[in-house]
Amino acid sequence: MKAPAFTFLRPASLDEALAALAAGEGEARILAGGQSLLPMLNLRMAAAETLIDIGGLTELGEIAEADGRVRIGARVTHAALEDGVGGDRWNGMLVFVARDIAYRAVRNRGTIGGSLCHADPAADWPVAMMALGATMQIAGPDGRRELDSEAFSLDVFSCALEEGEMLTAVSLPRLSPAARWSYRKMRKKAGAFGEAIAAVVHDPESGLVRVVAGSSPLGGPARHADLEASIAAGAPVEDAAIRRSLAAREPDLDRYEMQIHATCLRRAITEVMR
Amino acid sequence: MSQANDRPATATGVGAALPRREDARFLHGRGRYIADLELPRMLDVAFLRSPLAHAAIRGVEKPEGAQDRVFTAADMAGLVAIRPTTNVPGHRIVGTPPIADERVRFVGEIIAACVADSRAAAEDLVELVMADLDELPVVASVDAALSPDAPLVHESWGSNLSMETRFESGIEEAIAAASVRVTRTLDMARQAMVPLEGKGVVAHWDAVVGQLVVYSSTQSPHLIRNGLCHCLGLQQRQVRVVAPDVGGGFGYKAILHPEEIIVAWLALRLKRPVRWLEDRFEHLTAGASAREHRYEVTAHADAHGRILGIDAVLTTDAGAYSIWPHTNGFDAVQASGILTGPYDIRGYRVHTRTVATNKPPLSPYRAVARPGACFAIETIVDAVARAVGRDPADVRLDNLVGPAAMPYKAVTGKEYDSGDYPACLRRAREMMQEVEADPLPDTVIGTGYAMYTEHTAVSTATIAPLGVQMMPGFEHAGMLMQPDGSLEIRVGVQSHGQGMETTLAQIATEVLGIDPERVTVRHGDTALSPYSTGTYASRAIVMTGGAVAAAADALAERLKRVAGHMMQCGAAEVRLVGGELRGPTGSLSLEEAAHIWHFRPFDLPEAILRDGLELTAGYRPDGDRAPFAYAAHAARVAVDLELGVVTLLDYVAVDDCGTRVNPTIVDGQVLGGVAQGIGTGLFEEVPFDDQGQPLATTFGDYSVPAASEIPMIRLDHRETRSPYTRFGVKGVGEGGAIAPPAAVVNAINDALAGIGAELCAVPATPRRVLEAIFAARDRHGAAQEDAR
Amino acid sequence: MTRLSLTVNGEAVSVDTEPRVSLADFLRDRLALKGTHLGCEHGACGACTVLLDGVPVRSCITLAASCEGAAVTTVEGFEDDAVVARLRAAFTEEHALQCGYCTPGMLATARDIVMRHTTPDIAAIRHELAGCICRCTGYRGIVRAVARVIAERAPVGAAPDGDCGPDAESP
Repeated sequence: MKAPAFTFLRPASLDEALAALAAGEGEARILAGGQSLLPMLNLRMAAAETLIDIGGLTELGEIAEADGRVRIGARVTHAALEDGVGGDRWNGMLVFVARDIAYRAVRNRGTIGGSLCHADPAADWPVAMMALGATMQIAGPDGRRELDSEAFSLDVFSCALEEGEMLTAVSLPRLSPAARWSYRKMRKKAGAFGEAIAAVVHDPESGLVRVVAGSSPLGGPARHADLEASIAAGAPVEDAAIRRSLAAREPDLDRYEMQIHATCLRRAITEVMR
Repeated sequence: MSQANDRPATATGVGAALPRREDARFLHGRGRYIADLELPRMLDVAFLRSPLAHAAIRGVEKPEGAQDRVFTAADMAGLVAIRPTTNVPGHRIVGTPPIADERVRFVGEIIAACVADSRAAAEDLVELVMADLDELPVVASVDAALSPDAPLVHESWGSNLSMETRFESGIEEAIAAASVRVTRTLDMARQAMVPLEGKGVVAHWDAVVGQLVVYSSTQSPHLIRNGLCHCLGLQQRQVRVVAPDVGGGFGYKAILHPEEIIVAWLALRLKRPVRWLEDRFEHLTAGASAREHRYEVTAHADAHGRILGIDAVLTTDAGAYSIWPHTNGFDAVQASGILTGPYDIRGYRVHTRTVATNKPPLSPYRAVARPGACFAIETIVDAVARAVGRDPADVRLDNLVGPAAMPYKAVTGKEYDSGDYPACLRRAREMMQEVEADPLPDTVIGTGYAMYTEHTAVSTATIAPLGVQMMPGFEHAGMLMQPDGSLEIRVGVQSHGQGMETTLAQIATEVLGIDPERVTVRHGDTALSPYSTGTYASRAIVMTGGAVAAAADALAERLKRVAGHMMQCGAAEVRLVGGELRGPTGSLSLEEAAHIWHFRPFDLPEAILRDGLELTAGYRPDGDRAPFAYAAHAARVAVDLELGVVTLLDYVAVDDCGTRVNPTIVDGQVLGGVAQGIGTGLFEEVPFDDQGQPLATTFGDYSVPAASEIPMIRLDHRETRSPYTRFGVKGVGEGGAIAPPAAVVNAINDALAGIGAELCAVPATPRRVLEAIFAARDRHGAAQEDAR
Repeated sequence: MTRLSLTVNGEAVSVDTEPRVSLADFLRDRLALKGTHLGCEHGACGACTVLLDGVPVRSCITLAASCEGAAVTTVEGFEDDAVVARLRAAFTEEHALQCGYCTPGMLATARDIVMRHTTPDIAAIRHELAGCICRCTGYRGIVRAVARVIAERAPVGAAPDGDCGPDAESP
């Protein structure tokens, strides 16, 4: 279990990193914390001609607030978010989510941007970011652009980054003190990927209502607009409605999968509407 | 209590909770494991392994320019296959080939060995080797293997049945007398053994001694040497097997691995040191795996829950080949021999079937087969209790063999030597009742019990009839008193976490009164020690402990003769007390006696000089009989009825391993065993698809419980001395792993009883728990439909 | 080959390395620091855990090349570390190791837990240890040893007295 050979670059600036990515012509990959990529390389389930280590790009490691939104650099680690570095503007939600991602030693290396770009369908940040209304800040050969979470998340292990692009930060609104959230993850053991994840956020001040479910059987995170509408209207959400919503999205869920996803969603919605 | 040592524990001898002498090197990163050895010009090996579960090999193409670094079966023509032997009538058996020749029969079977200066480079080379495989039909489960017209794993057999045994005694009488009949089909999944350090081998030719030196992460250096000599055609004197520090074994390292043979062959062929270190992917996908039993059991009982007879069919999925030396039939033999458990059950019928499939071979794993047997009998006891409407612990108490019946001859022919089984269960129940359950939201709480009695330190009489190539029921120890009176003990077992460097020193201390700080225990090296079959079967403290005591006795006699001569009294008049040789008129220290023998030979008569202070002594328990350790376990779980998630809230184990040489180490053995048993019960599983592809290939898929999953297990002990062993000890290395699957499932079923659901398979993953709940709901729904 | 300069156990090291070499293999093969053990090579077992700039990381899924300029502490580098000294004693007293293979990673992890927790909360310690597999002990001794050291430190105001790279207290 040793990684195949690759060329290693450690650019000193974002421009250098983008240039290296362009030079790689699709065969170069960004290395952030490496906590997903390196296991796959060791298993030889992934390969890259060139790894571009962005560990030296301090600008990607910053957290800053402007115009009511918070910009979290792509290189910010799970551990930093667990520790509330840069302040908690989400009533504890990011701390809560971060604390249950893998293990502390992994969280010390693994980054929010890496997790979002890797797009593991069972990962936490894609679900949590979508639930918080985050947008993705992207830099590429043609300049910068921004995508909302739904547009960024394409498919299993696939995001909307084009060749030569990289994620630089996520931008998300802060929650008002009155906002409520619930994050429910069912997993086989502590630190394991979720078998089913449900995130619900309701901010009555900003009007943000999000119901997001994610997992491998669901093929990644997505919003449940019908359930969001019920919550926004303050209407009770029946179990049957949750199941209908899940079935509409993924008709192939088996009975067990339906049960665990519906339960996580129902419990999260109940907690938020309580 | 009827038990207790008749002798107060000293601060350092038998019974002392002496801190482990091994710890310091491990805590400072100074252990030396197989991967830590560095030899000049050493080559690393990586293997091309079969991607298919069953295929004909049409050819293997070596990459251009790498012909001398890639080796296939054709290159290893001189290698003799390992052949497990058996006396079981009709037992068809094929040993695991070191390297596949014409066929591959499981995913992960070795097709080619590639060597390079580093493991990474060797893996690069593997990617360039092309194997041309013709896919053949696969059987990946016992159901598939036993179906009519099933594809055959070994064509010459005519079926996939490797071994079949039958035993019957008193079952018809039991059936006739019973008024309650409870039948269940119970499944225990295949799992990996997962020592944290993988298997590893380093081999090189030592031209000075004229020996092939094989460093192996093994529990059984002498057995490995036996196997290697057979395969390589070398004399035993030409091979030395050394086990360095071993990072856990659990049975996985008590067998001969194909890689061991290939690495040894490569070292001879290439005349350079060669190394293979198993990685986790190899361990989970290609290494021997364990368990995978199915029990179809019927209990025949009276209306009060007294069990009169057990009627069972046991089917094990043994994989494509047999491991060596134990054979692929070991699980069936062991399980069928103990299926009636600690209970007084006089009717018994068992039919075992050992089935070949296109999966890796099945290997004995900590407590070999008994976790399966315990799971079967203990879930059936609970089912009987539910059927007669009584408390399962009460039903157990009515069925257990009582202390007055000891020694008790079970219907299986096994003799349970000693103990008070009911008192053990009562203590576990008391401990469970002492602590209130802390409820979790959205869950239902359940409590479950399980017991076992366990044949430890397996005897020659038990193994000899099976005809396997190992004979376990005795052990030897070498002992050398140095000129300064310090002591070296040399044993052929291998300590890989059991703390034998501490406990065997304690035994020497017990006999000789020597300070344990003046004792070295050397182990795990065929060049150092008397022959031994190794560390397995909860045998080391019984067998090797007994041998160390016997050697210390013999050494004490010699020292007494030295002292007697010097003090001008008879040796019989000398007593060895607290490390002092005391005669009627004076005393000598051990140091003085050793000094006199080495440096003042002119003061001693020739007979004493001739005997010397170095010797080897052997030991076998009285009458070649094995001590039975036993325990009662209790689990409390919270079951989330909507998610199927089981949280273990509390776990209690009360065991009796006779005299505890070191109570701290005994606790550690039990705790570690329980954690592995909890893994079997709740988490660990290597599933395969119907094409024989393993579906758990990393720790992402294969869940090993961590501290987050294992509660703070609570222990208590009883101490009934075995009448057959030195100091009254019984083995304790494996027992902890036996009862947890049963205890956990009984607790889950207690929680599910309210909704009429019942789980009959482990591990109790959320999916299995929910499927049991769905089944109950469907039955309930169907019943309501019928009622309309 | 990449030229790599970093500090390992307080000593400056400058060595050429292949980019694909993990920090674990670099420590073991290039620096002969064999106390860092490999148990899974995919970041899931914790045996290879070392301190990187004072915080625990998996050396099997950290590239050596990514550690340019960093300070690495392995089990061999804890000789003057007061917290680890206490942990070592507690590990023996609580029988927190058997085969010893997980122990170096456990110590690095345990040290970090002790640094970040001021009360010996068993549930919290168990959760913090989730990423470290021990196949021998059943974990009770490990949890107890960590709790014991946290409890010992609490009365003295939980002042950090370890000395292992920068920002050991607050990563």
